[in-house]
Amino acid sequence: MTDNQGAVRQGAASPAAMSNRALAAGLRVGGIVIAIAVVIIVFTVIAKPNTFFTITNALGVMRSMSTIAIVALGLTLVIVVGEIDLSFGYVYGLASILIGVAWVVWGWPIWAAIILAFLAAAGIGAVNALLVTLVKIPSFIVTLGVGQLVFGTTLLVSNTATINPSYPPVGKVVPPAEIAWFFGLSNQQLPFGVPMQALWMAGVALVIGFLLSRSLFGFRLKAIGGNPVAAELARLPITKYKFAAFMLCSILATLAATLDFAFIGSVQPNAGVSLTFPVFAAVIIGGASLSGGRGSAIGTLSGALLLALIANGLALLSAGAYLSNFVSGAVTIAAVVLDRLTQRLRR
Amino acid sequence: MSGALAEVAATARSGLRIRGLRKWYGDTRALDGLDLEGRRGEILGIAGPNGAGKSTLIKILAGETAANEGEILLDDAAWDTATDFHRVAVVHQEPQLFPNLTVAENLMVGREGTRALTRGLTDDEERLLADLAILGVADKPLADVPLAVHQRVEIGRALARDASVFLFDEPNSALTQEESQDLFRRMHLLADAGRVVLLVSHRIAELAEHADRVALILDGLCTTVLEGDALTQEGIAAGLVTGQAAREPEEQITVRVGDDAATALRLRGWTHAGGEFSDIELHVRVGEIVAMVGVEGSGARELVRSIAGFEKGTGTIEIGGRTGSRTVLSSTGLVAADRQASLFSNLSIGDNMVARLNREITRGGALRRRRMLEIAHDLRDRFRVKAASVHLPIRSLSGGNQQKVAIAAAIVNRPEVLVLEEPTRGVDIGAKREIYRLMRQYASDGHAVIIYCTEVPEVFEAADLAYVVSDGRLSAPLIVMNYPDVEALAKAVTRLERHSIEPAGAAPATAPA
Repeated sequence: MTDNQGAVRQGAASPAAMSNRALAAGLRVGGIVIAIAVVIIVFTVIAKPNTFFTITNALGVMRSMSTIAIVALGLTLVIVVGEIDLSFGYVYGLASILIGVAWVVWGWPIWAAIILAFLAAAGIGAVNALLVTLVKIPSFIVTLGVGQLVFGTTLLVSNTATINPSYPPVGKVVPPAEIAWFFGLSNQQLPFGVPMQALWMAGVALVIGFLLSRSLFGFRLKAIGGNPVAAELARLPITKYKFAAFMLCSILATLAATLDFAFIGSVQPNAGVSLTFPVFAAVIIGGASLSGGRGSAIGTLSGALLLALIANGLALLSAGAYLSNFVSGAVTIAAVVLDRLTQRLRR
Repeated sequence: MSGALAEVAATARSGLRIRGLRKWYGDTRALDGLDLEGRRGEILGIAGPNGAGKSTLIKILAGETAANEGEILLDDAAWDTATDFHRVAVVHQEPQLFPNLTVAENLMVGREGTRALTRGLTDDEERLLADLAILGVADKPLADVPLAVHQRVEIGRALARDASVFLFDEPNSALTQEESQDLFRRMHLLADAGRVVLLVSHRIAELAEHADRVALILDGLCTTVLEGDALTQEGIAAGLVTGQAAREPEEQITVRVGDDAATALRLRGWTHAGGEFSDIELHVRVGEIVAMVGVEGSGARELVRSIAGFEKGTGTIEIGGRTGSRTVLSSTGLVAADRQASLFSNLSIGDNMVARLNREITRGGALRRRRMLEIAHDLRDRFRVKAASVHLPIRSLSGGNQQKVAIAAAIVNRPEVLVLEEPTRGVDIGAKREIYRLMRQYASDGHAVIIYCTEVPEVFEAADLAYVVSDGRLSAPLIVMNYPDVEALAKAVTRLERHSIEPAGAAPATAPA
């Protein structure tokens, strides 16, 4: 959005050279909007009447995109600062299992179990950042390794068992009031049937949107990601900011895990392992640059929406899982190709 | 390939001849009809200030870019450097080799033939390595041997493919004295064997000692070729700066700050952690612009960077009466020589200008966009940045204007000591003047400015005091005002540079002018 305004103002300030830039910015933002519109029209036409283009389905899409959107908003921070995080899916898994095990198996109160999960996530984010900034290992390797480490811990802690508070192991009791409160995090009755998770997603998007485009934090995050050498010369607090980005990414993965657990009502140790692709895809489709310095909350949100629409539409067509993978892969690559083309225009 | 170093028959042929070479980038003329002749059997020195066209010439000869006009002849036949690049060897200060391969593999790579993936050294190649005194390290990975060996491998690669032209581009700035001497010995050997040897260097003393002739390149032209009795250090130094800087009466900006002015910066026993300089004593007053002059490898660049805290130094650094690393962080600012290192290409012009600010542009964590714009507009006007709007991307500016933005970004939080590395590198003459004016203004506002210079005209136009750095030591200060013209200053700088090289026995004794 801000890109668009900037482009208009520049167009007014200087003539021909800037029309390209305005066009490029327009194409980039417009690209997603057009893609979303096309997907909506296509599925409305080819799906059975009154299945795709309905309020109920729209609300369902909002709920189903929320997990990916919340995690992807966290990842956007890491991508903007010029790093990469491959561990968020496993952090998501560990967080769900920690809540489940501490609450159901160890008999902790639910609030303590949730705090434990968030502390663990913050810790993992901090370890990622520590290895990246102080030990100076590329974040790809760090988070690839830490992800497996975390996954191993999840399997160990859960003993690879599914946990369901409504059916606790023999000899354990979970207070019904706690179950009701916890499930309520994602299952409140809201006006117009708006899903609770969509509300959480909106809240997170507002916060991350403010951070990225309206705060000093986001301004510097972009500067650091755009040119780390210049950031060092400018004495920007690079280490601190990378810690913040990695920790927020892990924390948002944990928030998504908590909400999904509360919605589904049970948790499996391999939860989250399939998040890596769609979350990255949402960020990339949303226009963030993998080389750092560029990305926005609204873009990432749009990316998550596009992916959710495609998955939902194909499910309504009973197209099968393979086609869904195929299409999301193609869309992601198309987004990057579009980005390259518009970048050439920008020069 | 056989008897690579002993081939002498070629001397009869005429060598390298360049006629009317022109190369332009957009509106900038990098080469403007350059003529040059490199004879077989001699070392031709090439000297010129930054931006004079030397690097363009090197790029053309190396086949990396093509000239727009002009011809290059090798032994009286046209030479297309882009397709016939195997006839030239370019030895940079950082050779273009494969650090993950061994010395022997580096010698062979690209010429392995098609049959086997790996093969041993042939007798010729072994002899070549022996001639270059690197046969003993043939099986070591290149990354594990010193830079001097890398350069010999580079020479070896060129000899193995029987190259005719050897272009040395500032080859010894990272070498020790001894390694340099060895490299020069090899250059003479190459020349004696009838190759064309070109030596591009900032080091005037070495040019005077080793080159048979020295071509001076200024503004894209070869203005003078010095040889015989005219080929002296003073001759080169004066030739390089002639017409390059004139102090016009109305813009005499060099001043002499009174002895009673407050101290801005003091260094005591200041020593580089990596050994690039040692035991530096320095006193800089408020209002002064001090130039550190030195070639690459002299320690001057590291010295100025250490003052801003970007190289590790030990000893005492005192700024405005306070010491410690916290003081350095809060009261210095650095503008790097490389603009790519000082600017954020993903941010707008205005955002680049305010990127170092903190409290001034925020309220409760939120950016004050309007305030940021005010500051940016103010800086744009004060620095005369030629930009239609501060919202434009930084890339849309010319080099000179980008440099102004980089300096604006560095002074925006008013460091007591402003440090600039080569403040006008790659900047046109108009922007140069502006940048000098801005530096002067900042100094007069109660700050100290320290610049790293490789060019005497810059010192002459911009600085009050100049220290020559060689081998990591400071000379006595030169008071720039006392020199009537840039030639006189250049001679003084050259004398001081040579003085420190002389004890090692490198330079011939010449009576001071």
